[in-house]
Amino acid sequence: MEELYNIVPCRESQLNDLVELLGDNGETLPCSIFISGSLATGKTLCVNTVLDYLNLKYVLIDCIECYSAKIMFEEILRIQGDQGTKCDTLSDLINNLNRLSDKIKYDPIVLVFDRAERLRCMDHSIISAFLRLRELCCLNICTIFISQLVYDNFYFKMGVREPIQLYFPNYTKEELLKIILLKHDAFVYYLKHNYEIDSDINQELEKPELFANFLNAFLSVFYRPCRDLIELQHMAKVNFVKYCEPIIKKEINASDLSKLWRHIAPILKTSLELLYLRISTQNTTEISNDKENDIQPNCDFENTLQLLSTKTFAQSFELPYYAKFLLIAAYLASYNPPKEDKRLFMKNHGKQRKRLQQVRAKAKITEKLNTQLGPKVFNLDRLLAIFYAILEEKIGLTSNLLAQIATLVELKLIAGNKEVDLDSSKYKCIVGYDFISAVAQTVGFNVRKYLYDFI
Amino acid sequence: MFEIEDQLKLVRKYLKLKIIEDDVKFRGHENERQHVYDLFMKSIEQGESHSALILGPRGCGKTTLINSVLHQVSNEVDMNNDVMIIKLNGLLHHDEKIALKSITAQMQLENVVGDRVFGTFAENLSFLLSCLMSGVDRKCRTMIFVLEEFDLFCHSGRTQTLLYNLFDITHNKQAPMCVLGLTNRLDVMELLEKRVKSRFSHRHIFIFPCESVLPLENLKNVFVQCLCLPVFKEKVKPKRSRKSRASSDSESDTESKYSISNQVFQKCHIDSRQFQDLDPVFTRSWNAHIHSLLDEEKVMDYFEKFSYYIINEQIFRNVLFQIVSKLSPKKPYIDPQDIITTIDKTVAPEHRVKLLQSLSILEFSLVIAMMHGLEIFDGQPMNFEMILNRYTKFANENSSTQSVPRPVILKAFEHLQSLEIILPVRTESGNDTTTHRVQKEYKLYTLAIPTDDIKEAVKGFKALPTEIQHWVNNSVV
Repeated sequence: MEELYNIVPCRESQLNDLVELLGDNGETLPCSIFISGSLATGKTLCVNTVLDYLNLKYVLIDCIECYSAKIMFEEILRIQGDQGTKCDTLSDLINNLNRLSDKIKYDPIVLVFDRAERLRCMDHSIISAFLRLRELCCLNICTIFISQLVYDNFYFKMGVREPIQLYFPNYTKEELLKIILLKHDAFVYYLKHNYEIDSDINQELEKPELFANFLNAFLSVFYRPCRDLIELQHMAKVNFVKYCEPIIKKEINASDLSKLWRHIAPILKTSLELLYLRISTQNTTEISNDKENDIQPNCDFENTLQLLSTKTFAQSFELPYYAKFLLIAAYLASYNPPKEDKRLFMKNHGKQRKRLQQVRAKAKITEKLNTQLGPKVFNLDRLLAIFYAILEEKIGLTSNLLAQIATLVELKLIAGNKEVDLDSSKYKCIVGYDFISAVAQTVGFNVRKYLYDFI
Repeated sequence: MFEIEDQLKLVRKYLKLKIIEDDVKFRGHENERQHVYDLFMKSIEQGESHSALILGPRGCGKTTLINSVLHQVSNEVDMNNDVMIIKLNGLLHHDEKIALKSITAQMQLENVVGDRVFGTFAENLSFLLSCLMSGVDRKCRTMIFVLEEFDLFCHSGRTQTLLYNLFDITHNKQAPMCVLGLTNRLDVMELLEKRVKSRFSHRHIFIFPCESVLPLENLKNVFVQCLCLPVFKEKVKPKRSRKSRASSDSESDTESKYSISNQVFQKCHIDSRQFQDLDPVFTRSWNAHIHSLLDEEKVMDYFEKFSYYIINEQIFRNVLFQIVSKLSPKKPYIDPQDIITTIDKTVAPEHRVKLLQSLSILEFSLVIAMMHGLEIFDGQPMNFEMILNRYTKFANENSSTQSVPRPVILKAFEHLQSLEIILPVRTESGNDTTTHRVQKEYKLYTLAIPTDDIKEAVKGFKALPTEIQHWVNNSVV
């Protein structure tokens, strides 16, 4: 057992349960086990290590890989040892398994279905049959289902043989700390790989205390929005480099913890914005490619941050002048109710204003705002009308202008037909507010002024 | 003296085998069992044709009933020459072609059929039957068809050819045949086609668990039945006193009812002799231990609780399996506490609450935001923008919450979606054109978790910030 605990840290009770359920060699296996738990809680790892440890014959089936029943059946039949058995239907599978029983008698066999939620997409008889596979074929066979969904999400019209359920809770903060701490070597190696480090500092960096301190600071920021071990490890790797930078450059002493904390706190905060987005991976490979550049990785980091924001992204599009106005017009058409167009875009609409405002004060509920409900469909006429209303100068309706609309559709800024059909085509603007306000800024236009929701 | 470790291993092995594999021993429902037995015997001995349906909820022992009757029948008649049993399962053989293939295989007629091509299903089936008839004395063997998951054979949309033909044969004199359907759907008759229904004998055999015994009594029976060990009298050692031997003899007669039948051993390719090493002294004390567990008040309370929720015997066997698998040299007897925790886990797993508790604070706040939104707008679905709006309102009020950028919140939202805590509202299918599709921020979702579960999750949430705890209970921020 001890060795198991070492391979999979912090999962003692789950490992115990699994070992107990699967039992010693020659004992009868349970009919089926269902394991649920959220991402990166060591479900698959636990099952695999236990099965290896008990030396059982097993097949691991990833339900994403085996997207069709046929592929899955043939994958299962790999336990026979020979490849390429044809197997189209469930009954073929059972027949094949039964044939196996002459050979292996009552030796235990385990089928592990990883990401079992995918099984729901298949014919419902498949998962029902797997849940009672033991009754259908005369083998000492057990099916283990691993899924991040709870069993309640598996709904069976006909009822099934219920599996034994196990739940893997998330790692707590302390456990996360312990697990990442185990990877200390990898982190240091990664650091050394990317930097040229003096030998005296080298030893400082290898101290586990330094790493533990870093992790404490790191988790205090990141534990709140993220509990995914994989993502946390990735972010820790990126940020540990930053943490050690001043030490390498001999700006801060490795033992000066409070100074280091002051150094890393703002960096952690900014990198929080990159959580899950994996933008920085591209950046880090860049660093490792040309090591001379390592003097200013901090600067690079800022760059990626900027690239990330919608604003610069919008500006990087560099649309033509009229196309920008067309896009703005499309946005306004999508997010304003048509009956308000007159009030928003015409010079003399005067009279109604006061009464309308009173009505609006009562009626406006945040959840019912257009900007929250999503874009509405509009036609070409309305788009052009708004376009001419917001554009100060007079230009003719040329084919060039219409071609711009097609371009915007092609760029997936507007949803609709690519061909500009003057009569029937319907459009919808599919960019967000951040994007459009960035575009509007470049042409000196205030979008907020023309949005019904914000008046 | 035997090593306690070896003894325990044997006990564990034996009990597990009994709990999982024993599908022959059938308890209760004497009338129904007799009914099925009579049907079989009439078909076999008098050459009558019958059809019947056995109905009962899941895990009430329909299959076990058939197995036990077949087991009994096999002791009384010559199975090899007079009877042919064909078992089909709706899960596997709901397709006619596959079913026919399986029937052919079970009749061992693959060679006869060879590459012959048949026009219709009926032709094929009658050919199979005629093959059987051309035996030595032109006397056909009785066919017993057992159709498990009978409801799956009655697929709507396609014709019920298999059922039609099977029931049709029971009406002409071609061959004595007994068709038995097993299902858990009480409305199965509604699913049948008219022509199938008219050929069915309308003989229904209902099996309801706990019809004659109280659920609690039933559980106790199963508990004793599954966990007690048989005493093997062969192992009584000569050096023991005569008195004890005499008593053990009489006991072994009474306690042999706890043994597994040889059929099961054969099926599992297990040598039953290895279990004769079980020390009678140990087994007797073990059995006493099992009986004493039934006297414990706490255990009985939990059995009662279990019987309130579940009457499916398979699930109870799962519980027993888990209890037995916990036996180890360090813990050679069943701990009542284990029974209690296992039953608790099975009856009310509360995995949904645990799932909620495993969310990060950010994700959980989104769930709360959504819960409040749904409360205010009478359960109207919400999109990401609305939830974000609600969340930012809350986050701005409470300066202690770290501000997180929008893309990260969107990721958290998508995670909730992949965990199926929130479910997309299904729009009218069909108009899937580009203009009708919406961006993911505006897709409408509903919460798939009841409010009670969220409130329950808050109670056990580790290190939940106080302001969020407060926020759960009053929506106004």
